[in-house]
Amino acid sequence: MEAMQYLSESPDSINSSSNDQPVSNRNLNRSQRIAEKEKRKNEAEDPFVAAVKYFSDVEAGTPVMGNDVFEGNLVVVEKVAYAEGLPPDAISVMLEFAMSLRMGTSLCPRVLKCLIPATVVPQDAVVRAVAWLGVSKIPISTQVLFIKWVLTVFDMIDAKDQLRAIYGFIFSFVTEENLCPFICHLLYLLTTKQNVRVFRIRKLLDLQDRLGKQPFLLHLLSLYKVFCPELVTLSVPSRMKRGFRNHNSPWKSALAFVQKKNSAAIAPSAGVTLTIKDQSNRRKRKHCHLELPVLTCALNKESQAELSSNRKLVPLAHLRSFAELLENMHRIELPAQMGSLLSTSVALHYLDCVQEESALLRLNFWLGYTLREEFLFCRDGGATQNSDEALQFLNRLLCAHQFLQEGFSSSEGFLYKFLTVWDGCLMRPQILGLLSNIPVVPSYKMGQLLLEPLKQLYFTSSPFFKCGLLECLNGMLRNWLTWHSVYALEDNMDISISSHTSIYMTLSGLKDSVSQLVQFVDHLAVVGLQLESCHSLLLNFILDFYETVCDMFLKYGLPLVVLPSPGVFYPALLATDPVSVDRLAYIMHRYKVNLAFAKSQLKITEAFRISRQTFSDFNHYVVDMVNFLWNAKAFQSGVNVQLDEGILQRSKVPECSTSFDLVYHPAFMSYAIDFHHKCWPERKELDLSSIKHVKPWSWYVEYLFSQGYDGLELFKRTNINRWQPVKGDKEDSGTMQL
Amino acid sequence: MCFRRSSVWIGVAKMVPARQKSVARTPNSVVQRKSKIKSYRQSYQSMTAASRLCLTRALTSLWLNTSRTAPKSDNILDKVDPRQLASLMKTEWQLSYVTPLYQFRYTQLKSYSRQLSAFMAAEKEQVEDGATQNFKVSFSVVHGLVETDYDAETILIQIYSKSFFAGQNEHQKPVWKGWLACVNGNRDYINSLPKEFISLPLFGSSGTEALTALVKSWFQKNFDCCFGSLEINHISLQWLVALWTNYHAESNIKQLQMIWTLPVQPLLQVSYAVNPVDAWELWCSVKGDQPELVDLSAGSLSSVSTALGSAKCRGQIKISNSKCMTTTLTLLTECALLKMPI
Repeated sequence: MEAMQYLSESPDSINSSSNDQPVSNRNLNRSQRIAEKEKRKNEAEDPFVAAVKYFSDVEAGTPVMGNDVFEGNLVVVEKVAYAEGLPPDAISVMLEFAMSLRMGTSLCPRVLKCLIPATVVPQDAVVRAVAWLGVSKIPISTQVLFIKWVLTVFDMIDAKDQLRAIYGFIFSFVTEENLCPFICHLLYLLTTKQNVRVFRIRKLLDLQDRLGKQPFLLHLLSLYKVFCPELVTLSVPSRMKRGFRNHNSPWKSALAFVQKKNSAAIAPSAGVTLTIKDQSNRRKRKHCHLELPVLTCALNKESQAELSSNRKLVPLAHLRSFAELLENMHRIELPAQMGSLLSTSVALHYLDCVQEESALLRLNFWLGYTLREEFLFCRDGGATQNSDEALQFLNRLLCAHQFLQEGFSSSEGFLYKFLTVWDGCLMRPQILGLLSNIPVVPSYKMGQLLLEPLKQLYFTSSPFFKCGLLECLNGMLRNWLTWHSVYALEDNMDISISSHTSIYMTLSGLKDSVSQLVQFVDHLAVVGLQLESCHSLLLNFILDFYETVCDMFLKYGLPLVVLPSPGVFYPALLATDPVSVDRLAYIMHRYKVNLAFAKSQLKITEAFRISRQTFSDFNHYVVDMVNFLWNAKAFQSGVNVQLDEGILQRSKVPECSTSFDLVYHPAFMSYAIDFHHKCWPERKELDLSSIKHVKPWSWYVEYLFSQGYDGLELFKRTNINRWQPVKGDKEDSGTMQL
Repeated sequence: MCFRRSSVWIGVAKMVPARQKSVARTPNSVVQRKSKIKSYRQSYQSMTAASRLCLTRALTSLWLNTSRTAPKSDNILDKVDPRQLASLMKTEWQLSYVTPLYQFRYTQLKSYSRQLSAFMAAEKEQVEDGATQNFKVSFSVVHGLVETDYDAETILIQIYSKSFFAGQNEHQKPVWKGWLACVNGNRDYINSLPKEFISLPLFGSSGTEALTALVKSWFQKNFDCCFGSLEINHISLQWLVALWTNYHAESNIKQLQMIWTLPVQPLLQVSYAVNPVDAWELWCSVKGDQPELVDLSAGSLSSVSTALGSAKCRGQIKISNSKCMTTTLTLLTECALLKMPI
């Protein structure tokens, strides 16, 4: 009945339960369980469930010929298999059914052909089926078909430990001439260092004598040689032309189809496994810069002899799991080509600990070379022609950056060059992603290397590119700030005298860079908002950026407060969507908290001095915001925006000064009307001004807060002292005194 | 194609290096080139706290030769073994640039010869399915083909085919030749590399592409370096013309031949053959006063040749006179270093 239980679950939960977490089932809460019971009841009549049940229960020796029940059930299973793939338990049942030959040998291939997994293949099922290979009289062609199937779904088998445990058993099939090529491939995928034994090598060499230099034997032997070079004396060509034959089995296309369909359901295999390259799949290319070098041991043994004589080194290529990496951390031998470190996650883990300067330099030489050859020097189109590979390569690089939480210097150097020729379209997400990872740029270099090319791209492209770029710069700023806070903490030094941060740079140098970046984005934002007539998506990305900026002091420990310019502040304040106004209020609230903190620190040390101008600018903004939203006195303070009366009249907005408070503000008007209806349901005529009386006003503001406008609420709490709103009376804003 | 003499002059006038606007008169005088980026150095002391993957950042901003010095007058024949020199000359080399070699040891050349032979045997077996062709590789140092103490000595690689029918004593001609060189390499750049690296940025090869690919792949695997094709752009070609013409007084350049490619449909190639005396006179006049320059419109120089050597924009070079060996290699080394990723 376990099978039934699995079947009733959605593909996602199958996935999670097949991961070694049976506990998660128990943790399902009650409501879920009830829902599941319901579902199960419905599915009890599902023909597919019934069909699988048939195959699990069918007696041995049941005739096939003329058996309509059987035929019908198999058709049902096949239909499901080809449409959406089989769930793990159904795979188990069908595999067991086929391999046990309960209904004879003729059915076996047909059943095998429809074993298309939807998510994963349970390891037990495969192990049991391998066991059947030794027991029952399965025709050789069917045995081959089975091994081919295992090879095809190998990556989908949920665990490999038991399969590795029966390595010797699988190895015994190597003598079967027809099975040998496929068994070799399977062994190749399963081999660990422990499996390499002298008797196995001898057997393979015997076979080689008998069968000639077959590529499958050579491949397996070469893997053995990688693990135990002292045992395998055979000269194995260092690069083999053909890999294992590409098994063009019936499953490939069906599997691809099913996977595409269920792509959301299949979790990316984030496990730490070595990727084995299928060499035969490699497309011939004239320029193949984008290929990662294969992880191999250093070939130059002699030159390193003096090094390894002291202690036994373990080549990185031998390590298969994170645990093994940890065990051998102190004696790992770097690979021959550092570029290969990007290929697996174990290697990336190690890269994070590599201290050797020359190792990183090697990596950077390779990476810089590859990027430049592919995207800058290539005469015949380069990246545009091989966009798939280029995309994959950049994605992998981006992954590595994100994994290591920093960028490589060669990709930084490449980006500076590439930005000057970039059209803003080619691989945009990848390029922007890489860009946001570049380390702090000294301010004197920033303009020419980074800001100028970005400015040109920004002003000549669509609002969506503008948003993308702002997001990228926001990420860049956050990275810089994070590095700063991490290194400032690590050094455990007083921040004011901290002499180096993420790179050799004084605190003031970092502050220069950060403020230059913020000013640059501010400039982009102001002009962008004008060019795109206050595009609300753009405005939101700008506010995102300022959410990072306003918290630089408290969140990241960088004593710097930079305010947005009026060109950003007022469009946000007068935006037509309430979310933007609310976010602005939140940002102003955070500025206030940061400035208050700076002021309190000022009493302790002078190093936190924030300029008088910043305080005064902030105060003006707060006064204006309170005047606009609470006091209905827009455009009257005249400090930041001095608008001629004539211009205001020409806008044809009646009573300009009062039409931007929380009631009449275009962003909140709908709430005011809604509130009015709720407050006075009996009234026929809309009279919004009645909200402005003391009581309804306070209710209205509470009502707004209850709608999720937390930013406004926080703003009110930190900036408005008195809470006595009388119509016409002035709301007191909590400006900051120096 | 027939050209009036005057049009030849136009061509030559254009050919006068464009760089002289910024600086130089001739390769004889010192050329100043401003580096675009000021050198920005990171303190290596701060490494522990630093963003480690960016250690090498200091290198990114290093620029190349800030000055191009005049060729020294000392005779290359005094420094370099003439037999080795002969094997470098009169062959057309296909150029590549190479990133610095990691853990390349001059003391291991014998072992490298063995390793590369074995590597090629294994690879060839794959290609030709066990054909009996066998290779003998020899690595050797061309002592003396350097200009400064920073330059690494030139390496010459020769591959001979070990045919079973050839007699042992017979003088064999290599089936493939190649060399790695650094002549007058930028001092700051070379010094900035850790000691495990050897910078031999210029690679020339002559032989079948398949063999070249094998050698490159062996180097990549053993010394973690990368090979990229090195084109000689038209400014560098113009420099070569200037360099070679300058030698006319000492040794006859016979004839100066230049080929321009014009971007028209169908592609048009214009070929000029200039009388050496004319070229020399023009060159002398350029060294003195500025002649009236007339642009040969959008064409670009794609090939030059004289009796001293020839060069093509696709990166082929042939040096036929030992006198201009050093200067030519200096220019090419500079081109190669300009291509370095870091």
